Amino acid sequence: MILGADSLEKESPALLTTCGGIEFRNPVLTASGTFGYGQEFDALISLRGLGGLVTKGISPEPRFGNPPPRICETAAGMLNSIGLENVGVEAFAREKLPFLRSCGTRVLVNFFGTTFDEYVDCGARLAALDGVDGLEMNVSCPNIQAGGIEFGRDPLVLGGLVKACRAVVRKPLWVKLTPNTSDIVALARACADNGADAVSIINTITGMAIDVRTRRPKIATVFGGLSGPAIKPVALRMVYQVYRAQIPIAICGIGGIQDGNDAIEFLLAGASCVQVGTQSFIDPASAERIIREIEEYCRAQGVTDVRELVGGLALGQ
Amino acid sequence: MRYFDARVIENRSLGGGYFVLRLGGCEPLAGSRPGQFIMLRGDWGRDPLLPRPLSLLSVAHEGRADLLAKVVGKGTALMERSPPGSRVSVLGPLGNSFPAPSADVTDLLVAGGVGLPPLFMQAESAAHLGLANGSEMLYGGRTSRDLVLLGEIRGFGIALRLATEDGSLGRRGRVTDELEARLDRGRAAASAQPLRIMACGPRQMLWAVGRIAQSHGIDCYLSLEEQMACGIGVCLGCAVAAQTRPYRYVCKDGPVFPASEVMAHVSVASTSQSRGGAQ
Repeated sequence: MILGADSLEKESPALLTTCGGIEFRNPVLTASGTFGYGQEFDALISLRGLGGLVTKGISPEPRFGNPPPRICETAAGMLNSIGLENVGVEAFAREKLPFLRSCGTRVLVNFFGTTFDEYVDCGARLAALDGVDGLEMNVSCPNIQAGGIEFGRDPLVLGGLVKACRAVVRKPLWVKLTPNTSDIVALARACADNGADAVSIINTITGMAIDVRTRRPKIATVFGGLSGPAIKPVALRMVYQVYRAQIPIAICGIGGIQDGNDAIEFLLAGASCVQVGTQSFIDPASAERIIREIEEYCRAQGVTDVRELVGGLALGQ
Repeated sequence: MRYFDARVIENRSLGGGYFVLRLGGCEPLAGSRPGQFIMLRGDWGRDPLLPRPLSLLSVAHEGRADLLAKVVGKGTALMERSPPGSRVSVLGPLGNSFPAPSADVTDLLVAGGVGLPPLFMQAESAAHLGLANGSEMLYGGRTSRDLVLLGEIRGFGIALRLATEDGSLGRRGRVTDELEARLDRGRAAASAQPLRIMACGPRQMLWAVGRIAQSHGIDCYLSLEEQMACGIGVCLGCAVAAQTRPYRYVCKDGPVFPASEVMAHVSVASTSQSRGGAQ
């Protein structure tokens, strides 16, 4: 059969992509902390249609999280200070993983610790589990042995942590970088130099909000993580800085993605895939729509393979 | 369950910043129970960003749903200005509900200000079940302008007692004063029928209602409000301190809780409030 020009135009673009050692059916994943353990969304979205999902951050032991109020809305965004509440590795493996094994999409497990050894222990235990396609390290946690400074702020500390986890994690290892730094490129380089497969850019930006009537902070911990469309320009800038530095590491772009065009911007800036976060709160089925919109963009622009877009930012004349 | 499109078919101002939005196209809300809520978002662009949790006031046939709200911020201001025909996205019904009215118990429905909706719906449900004389509503606000939909409530045929802090309508004082007076009268009359309390309103009022119920040994259910981004148990924003474990979630464990479940941490909460000293 000979296909006419019309049929060729209508042919679906290839959305298949690879990032950090994992092949995804499309470049749209859902971000840690905004998608529970996946099962919560089973009746709300077709999980099989997603590129992948990233679970809530898992620690070696269960954590109960911070006192309320934990969230507040800000201009085109929100602040949260949930406090890394999670069920812990054991309950995750026992109660959450059986569903994830059969959910039909790629599963990355986000993890963290409060000490160096906790990170290594947690990473090793999670990587050994069947049904886990890869790990994403959350390095925006206070290091309780170093006065509460986040692990992920100092390239030397971060590099050491990545190296130690790399040694015990035989699966793809991603690192979710904090934007609360003056040099995102140095952080990404520390990850690449120590064997990480990808960097997720960015985690939330530290912020605060005050209720002028009561003069109290709007969230109990005073500072929280800003997310939502308000942070997209910052996230995009950081993705592009790391891409432009030609560091040999894949990038997953995160920050305020609400629609297909937002996602395309991240791909053009150099991300191989993206994660949808806060938008899943606004509409749990958003990721599905965003995938559809990427497909429509490709069709309209004559892009036959979504990977052509990665780093395709046009500069100069 | 997915967000569905609904539209405003009537937007009735009640004065004092209160308004009733009547929505059409809410067939998925059929069978909703008193206490349940929806997440609602208008076509607002990127600011405000999040959908708003709103208790249902009434759900009728043909996909009609009523909501009562008061202008307190950007989201409610936009809702208050939305003309008939405006499109909104709705997810629901969400959360649990108050216990159903029963012929064996007298229900005291205690409402504070904009906390009226779930109790209004409970009163409506009692009326539909022919149990209106087994329910009494105690409804309080700061001024008479905070007491709305009185004609409709009286139309349910339930006893209604009012309280305002400025004395402009009903008893001068708080609705909890009215509740204590009601319980004292009940004790004097030694009524055979056991009592049950259901309440919704400001947090301090709810704790006061819970303490009164506790001291009288009466079953009490509180409908709580908290900031939430998703309404489906994912953002974990709507945590409330609870007795059986550190936190429960208003959206998926509530919004209705037995008072005994959430009252344990009250003293802790009020201590930290007073430490702030900036009230």
